[in-house]
Order: sequence, then structure tokens, then C-alpha cells
Amino acid sequence: MVDASLSRPPVRRAPVETAARVRLRRTLELTGRVLSDPTTVIGLVIIILMLAMALLAPVITTPNVPDPYQMPRDWGAVRMPPLTEGHLLGTTNNGGDVLYGVIWGARTSLYLSLLVVSITVVVGTIIGSIAGFLGGRFDNVLMRIVDVFLSIPELIFALAIAAVLGPSFANIVLALAVTFWVKYARIMRAQIIRVKQNDYVDAARVIGDSKLRIYFKDILPNSITPVMVQATMDMGHVVLVGATLAFIGLSEAGIAEWGVLVSEGQAGISSGRWWASTFPGLMVFLWALAFNLVGDGLRDALDPRTEGR
Amino acid sequence: MQIRDYILRRLMVLPLLIIGTSIIVFVLTRVGGSPIGIYLSHEMGPEQVQQIRERFHLDDPLPVQYFYWAQGVLSGDFGWSGVSAAPVTAVFPSKLAATMELAIASGIVAVVLGIWMGTVAGARRNKWPDHVIRVVSIAGASLPLFWFAIVLLIVFWVHLGWFPIGRSDPVIFDSIAHPTGFYTIDALIALSPRAFWDAIWHLILPAIALGYGATAIVARMMRSSLVEELQEDYVEAARAKGLPERLVLKRHARRNALIPTVTVIGLTFGFLLQGTVVAEIIFRWPGLGRWMADAVLRGDQATIMAYVMFASILFLFVNLVVDVVYAYLDRRVVLGE
Repeated sequence: MVDASLSRPPVRRAPVETAARVRLRRTLELTGRVLSDPTTVIGLVIIILMLAMALLAPVITTPNVPDPYQMPRDWGAVRMPPLTEGHLLGTTNNGGDVLYGVIWGARTSLYLSLLVVSITVVVGTIIGSIAGFLGGRFDNVLMRIVDVFLSIPELIFALAIAAVLGPSFANIVLALAVTFWVKYARIMRAQIIRVKQNDYVDAARVIGDSKLRIYFKDILPNSITPVMVQATMDMGHVVLVGATLAFIGLSEAGIAEWGVLVSEGQAGISSGRWWASTFPGLMVFLWALAFNLVGDGLRDALDPRTEGR
Repeated sequence: MQIRDYILRRLMVLPLLIIGTSIIVFVLTRVGGSPIGIYLSHEMGPEQVQQIRERFHLDDPLPVQYFYWAQGVLSGDFGWSGVSAAPVTAVFPSKLAATMELAIASGIVAVVLGIWMGTVAGARRNKWPDHVIRVVSIAGASLPLFWFAIVLLIVFWVHLGWFPIGRSDPVIFDSIAHPTGFYTIDALIALSPRAFWDAIWHLILPAIALGYGATAIVARMMRSSLVEELQEDYVEAARAKGLPERLVLKRHARRNALIPTVTVIGLTFGFLLQGTVVAEIIFRWPGLGRWMADAVLRGDQATIMAYVMFASILFLFVNLVVDVVYAYLDRRVVLGE
């Protein structure tokens, strides 16, 4: 019989890792996982192209004066089909260049989605945190308000709000902000209630950390991931709903916004002018699709159940 | 027992949610200004205006106004619809029938197509049909209905001329009686194949446009639950006893995979309801959705209130039914959270 201790391999010590290194390694792992899914990469590529278009809009087009977000009017070239000289994607009934609308529409959509998503994430996170962290009466009251908000279908609620405020792009932002924060409050509350029960939170309390410190150091960073996934998806969803409201007629006429352009082009389709609606609508689709693909990929990569360890 | 308590609790909360919704919507519409405009005309003097203000309690504080509104609603008075130039309750039923007909047709498209697509994808997992259907269903969640509907019209109405626009051919529509308001059912009652065909022919394109998004949701759910079922032991057992794969799928796996799919079908209803607003504008469908859109653009408060209340109550009930069905089907669900 061989002595077991002799065949045992020598103990190898794991190299000491600093917290920063662990974080870096995890981030790289996560990036690798996200990028290994081809559909996520397709989504990322579309997003990058859209962002480039939005940011470079003043460079690749001649901005309309005085307001570049207004469609330029070329009354000499009304209802031109695509591939006309100077109007690659054709012109609208009012001589607006469809390509200009498509490009500046990306900028409008970027404004819309960034504004709405950042407002709703902050508001929803704060309200969800208060409800989940403090619990008790706060929780009860806030969640009943959330329930009432959730009982009105999203688009119909936004439609009613925008209708009351009057037709303008700024009011679409406001209407979407009022409807979209609820989801984040719900997600955040559920996360916090879950994270609160972890041992490390008890440990922090035992060593005498203040509530605020526990919240910011231990609870918030460990609860925020699903909020971020939802925010990614909402970057697309906000534009989808916002463009729908604009299409229905709740934005100013004549601005370079995809929903407005589809609506203005709608009148011409029975006479065969398909382009004025088709291209801007396609952009809404691609925008929403890209953020959905990336959001899906992020969720799969972050979901502990699909993790390899 | 436990489920009964759960249903009772949900039913008790329901009126509170409905009241909460009505308060939010009422306050919201009043923020936009007084609804007095629809009662005024140019010939009226200041005294008459004051009379109207008093008659409709417009000088009272908001909570009192809400009370009067709620009182009216409970006695069946939803106010005057400016866009229809008629009381809300007079125009509501026929528009409701038109909208429900469209929503149900879209629901049928979504259920039939979605379950079929999900079955094909799940049964041939990671083969090309699966990939194609995956792309189609991912696209469904991102497809702007207002654009998809217009593209369908451009192709099938303008260029190919296969399908018409609108809800009916007015001549055929007027040739039969309309006891239910559902054009298809009315045509069947009148035993008129011509009217029935007219109804179906007008329904196909909007039903596909509106149903596509829901189809994608159903297909996705069906696929993932079928994939899960196919890995269960009973499927192995069925295969081991020599049952052909087609029957394993049809008799065993698909049946069980349908359970979670059924609950998703309920949830797509809210999706369809919202979509009717856009679909009805584009297909010139004379239903509640287009009525709401008109009201929104003209600030018609009574119509907006009535529509939002209708949509929320319907939405709440559908969600309740879905939750209850889900609780019945899957006893592992923890009730109350």
C-alpha cells in the first residue's frame, strides 16, 4: 500500500489578486461572453453605426438653418423618387430630403432615448430603493402607486398624457418618463429585498456601517444589473413608443423625427410614393432591434443560470 | 382552497386599482384645462357660460368634480364625445364590436401561427428552421406596427391590389342587418356569403399586421417550453416504446408545452389592445382605437377618459385571469408575490 501523502501533489498557492484585478478579470470575461454571441455583435454594430450617424449628423449633412431639427424644404424638388440627384432616398410631399430626416432622426432618437432612460432609471431606482430598503409603510404606499400605474396599458397611458400636455416633442419625453419609471421601481425593489438578506450586508451592519454606506457600498452595486439590462432594452423601446406617439400626431409637424416622417409619408402611399414612409420606419425598426439584441445578449451573459461556473 | 383565497384577495384589490386609475386619469385630463369648450358656441353670452359652468360643477374644487364624474359614470353617463358629436355611451358599442373583431382576428393569427412556428422551431432545435423562426420572432418585438402596417399596405394594397383598405365595402355592409356589430357574425346571421367574404377579406391584412408582434411572443414561448419538454423522461419513454417521433411530439411533448404558452397568450392581449390604436388609424378601421386617436388630437376629454378606463379595466381583468390560470396550471407558483 502506497502512502497517500507521498502521491499528493505539492500545494500550489493561487497568486494573490487585488480587488481591482478581480474586477478587471471579471469585466474581460463578461465582455468575452457577450461578444461570443453573433446576434449580440450584430446588434452592437448597428448601435455603433446609429450613434455615428447621430453624432456626425452636422458633418455628413448641411444642417438646416436656423433649426437643424426641422426638415429642410426644397420646393423645387417635391415628391422625388429615391436616387434623384441630391436626394439619395427621395423627397417628401413638402420637398423634405428623406435622407436628411433619416440622419437627423437618429440624433432626435438618441436625445429622446437618453433623456427618457436616464430620467426613468434614476427616478425608478430611487423609489424602488426607498420601498425595498426601508420597507414597511413606505413600501406599501409606493407599491400601491406602482400597481395603479401598471394597470394602465403603457402606450395608452403615454397617449393620454401627451394628449393632455399638447402636441410637442418635449411632451412626448415627459409622457414617456411618467410611464416608464414604474418598471425600474419594481425591479429595483425586488432586487434590494433579495440582496438585503445576504450575509455581507449583516456583516457590514455588525461592524457598524451606516445605513447609507451599506446601501451605496453593498446593496446598490449588487442590485443594479437587471436595471441596466432593462435600460439597454428601453433605449430601443423608448424610441419605438416615442415614434408611435409622434406618428399618431403628438409631435410638432415638420421635425426630423422618424415617426413624424412615416406619418407624413403615409398620405403618398396610395399614389405609389413608398419611400417617404419606408426608410424612416426601417430606422425605427433597426434601432429597436439593435438594442433588443444587445439587451438579450447582456441578460444571457449576466444570468447566473447560464454561467459556466 | 389556497387558490380561492388568492382569487378573492385579487378581486378585493381590483376595485381599488380601478378607482386609483380613474383618479390619475381624471386629474390628468383636468390638468389640460377645463372641458367647457365642447359645450360652448359663439352665440353664448357670459351669463350662459356661467350657467354651463354651474351646471357641470366646473367651479367646484377638483375632488368634488371627480365625485360628480364618478356619480355620472356609475349611473351610466360617460359624458359627451366631442369627436363623435354624440354621448359616449351611444357610440361605444358599435366601435367596441369593430375593435374586438379586429383584436380577436389578430389573436387567432397569433395563436395559430405562433404555436405552429414555435413547434417547428422547438422540434428542429438549432437547425435552420429554428434559426429562421428565431430571427422572425426577435424582429417581432422590435417591429414598429405603424411601419409594418404601411409596408403591408404598400405591397398588398397599392402594388398587388390583393386586399382592400377599411372595414367593409359600404354597399355590402349596408345590405345586411347588424344585430351584434361584429361584421363576420352579422353576415353569418344574415346568411350572406358575399358579406361574410367581404368581412374576412377586409380583416386579413390588419389582422396580420396587428397579430405579428403577438405571434412572435407566442412562438418564442412555445419554442422554449417545447425544448424543455423534449428533454423530459416521459418523452424518452415514449420514444423507447417505439412511438414515431411525429406522435411523440404531437401526443406528448406539444400538449405539455402548451400550458405555459396559454398564459402568454393572455398577456399578449394587452399588446393587441394597444396596437389597435395604430392599426385602426392606418387601415381606416372604425373602432375604439381610431376614436381614441381622434379624441387625443382634439383634446376630447370625455372620450379619452372613457377609453382609458375601458382599456385599463379590461387589462386588469385579463391579467387577473392570466394569473389565476397560471396558478392553477403550475402549483409551484408562490401566490401573493
